[in-house]
Amino acid sequence: MATVTLRDICKSYGKSETVTNVNLTVEDREFMVLVGPSGCGKSTTLRMIAGLEEITSGQLLIDGVDVTDLPPQRRDIAMVFQSYALYPHMTAYHNMAFGLLKTSKLTKTQVDARIREAAEILNITDLLGRRPKELSGGERQRVAIGRALVRQPKVFLFDEPLSNLDAKLRNHMRGELKRLHRDLGLSIIYVTHDQIEAMTLGTRVAMMSKGRLQQVDRPMDIYLNPANTFVAGFIGSPEMALIACRSDQRGTIRHNAFRSAVELKADNLPNDVLFGVRPEEVSFSRTAGMAQGKVEQSELIGAEALVQVRLGDELMMVRCQVSDAPQPGSDVGLDFDLSRARLFHAGTGQAINLVRE
Amino acid sequence: MSQRFARARRKEALLAYAFLFPSFLFLATFTYWPIIRSFWFSLHDVVLGDPEIFWMGAENYMRVLDDALFWKVLANTAFYTLTTIPISILAALLLAVALDRKLRGMAIYRSAFFYPVMIPSVAAGMVWVFLYAPGYGPINAALGAIGLPHLDWLYDSDLALSAIVIMSAWKYSGYFMLILLAALKLVPSDLYEAARLDGVSGVQRLLHITIPLISPTLYFVVVIGILHSYQVFDYVYVMTQGGPADSTNVLTYYIYQNGFQYQDIGYASTVANTLLVFMLGLIGLVALTLGRRVHYLGEK
Repeated sequence: MATVTLRDICKSYGKSETVTNVNLTVEDREFMVLVGPSGCGKSTTLRMIAGLEEITSGQLLIDGVDVTDLPPQRRDIAMVFQSYALYPHMTAYHNMAFGLLKTSKLTKTQVDARIREAAEILNITDLLGRRPKELSGGERQRVAIGRALVRQPKVFLFDEPLSNLDAKLRNHMRGELKRLHRDLGLSIIYVTHDQIEAMTLGTRVAMMSKGRLQQVDRPMDIYLNPANTFVAGFIGSPEMALIACRSDQRGTIRHNAFRSAVELKADNLPNDVLFGVRPEEVSFSRTAGMAQGKVEQSELIGAEALVQVRLGDELMMVRCQVSDAPQPGSDVGLDFDLSRARLFHAGTGQAINLVRE
Repeated sequence: MSQRFARARRKEALLAYAFLFPSFLFLATFTYWPIIRSFWFSLHDVVLGDPEIFWMGAENYMRVLDDALFWKVLANTAFYTLTTIPISILAALLLAVALDRKLRGMAIYRSAFFYPVMIPSVAAGMVWVFLYAPGYGPINAALGAIGLPHLDWLYDSDLALSAIVIMSAWKYSGYFMLILLAALKLVPSDLYEAARLDGVSGVQRLLHITIPLISPTLYFVVVIGILHSYQVFDYVYVMTQGGPADSTNVLTYYIYQNGFQYQDIGYASTVANTLLVFMLGLIGLVALTLGRRVHYLGEK
């Protein structure tokens, strides 16, 4: 296993730049998830690591060795594709054996041993004689992972591997991937647009937008302390409310719907800030509350309810117990959990450092 | 209820036959009837333009078996087919693989290699007669320039058929290339990417991924190629008239000679029917060998 270092990696097609100055180090045995909306450059970044796309500028190191200009086969990596990319005319066994037999110095017996071992781990021993079209989506994905495993590469790359599976299977395979990573100690770089995959799988998450890295952090840190409004909006469902407020230098935050000013401590606050609150960080007040809102609608989602509340011109979501959910149309008082509240610069969208007590 | 259903179905079937009838009529007039007619002729002594015909039974077929020229013509046709098809398909495959990439001006290259297909065969034949010309021909000039002796391409009985093979391969390969290029476009690019990551070389990718995945199209091209080359007539007619010494005489040309030059329609029909049998046999052989190895892409 190995570390992967990206230094100022850029990719441009003609004049348009799709990946800009990506700096990232993936540690040994780390599960790094690249996440972002479609077109954010995450797949391009992964394909540059794989060697399938040329790196326009910057440097790529695997285990400290510069592989920027090396062809894919000399980087010692394996990749699992969204479409599985299994050879349709070969059985599962031959799909796994093909690359090894053609390129490695392993004997047939050694190759066979590796395939049997990977098949055992992935629970596909019974499927080895079948061709891809005789396999279900989940089984194909296992074979594709098996093909990567038998190579015993330094780094595993996954390009949206679960996107073609149905929801139930996706949950299951997510668990399997987590188990594989833990049991085999693999170094993985994993691309997805799905925030749940990012949050559950990653030891760290690298959030991308418009070709740039927005934040690289552990999943919970990304959730609790998003670096900017983009990350705040992308991670979390329903998304974080960003309420436009006025602020003075000392950290007094005002909004028409607030009964009194909210006091937060920070240095050099701009005049216009966004007050970020997640649905679970708001509660309905038994008294008048910190802010005054009106319930627009309320959705039951099992044990909890999601209540949409209008706060002046803005809408925000409140997560609460079903029994606590107020009727649509009613006026409610809201309390914010200020220990987790955050502020963003209204102009740049960047998070503002708060002084926590 | 079920009776009404059956009646509706019968009505639907009748309607279908009504729609099919015109094309059946066309096929019957121009395909089935001539086949029956030519079989009928092959059992008679028929002279072109003479309404009187005489029953001969299997005599024409006995004559075919004894006809040394027929066997030579058959051998020529087989040689022509078994050389033209592999050469042109191999050339087409290599061209298609080379042209299946995104490069500036690729459309121009593709058109350039397809161009021979658009030239009428008679015109193409005339051009190659000029190219092969013994004294002033560009091919001999080129041979001379690199110190090789001049060749009597179309006038040497050992060489003339090969000269037509070269010309035909040039003409066919552009056509096959276009079909194979379309097939290559359907091979998902991530298969090649997966293979590249696996370290599989370009030649191995061609042999183990490309060729198996386009095998249905290759098979189609082989069958079409056999049908075309067994019926080769125009190049022979324009370039050599079957000569020298019948070295380029092929089955369709031999049929033409017997039917229209010697006006022996009965014998021409017999040769034509024999050609049909050989062609079906060859296609059957191809289906049993190559056809078994074709891999069809796609879902269950």
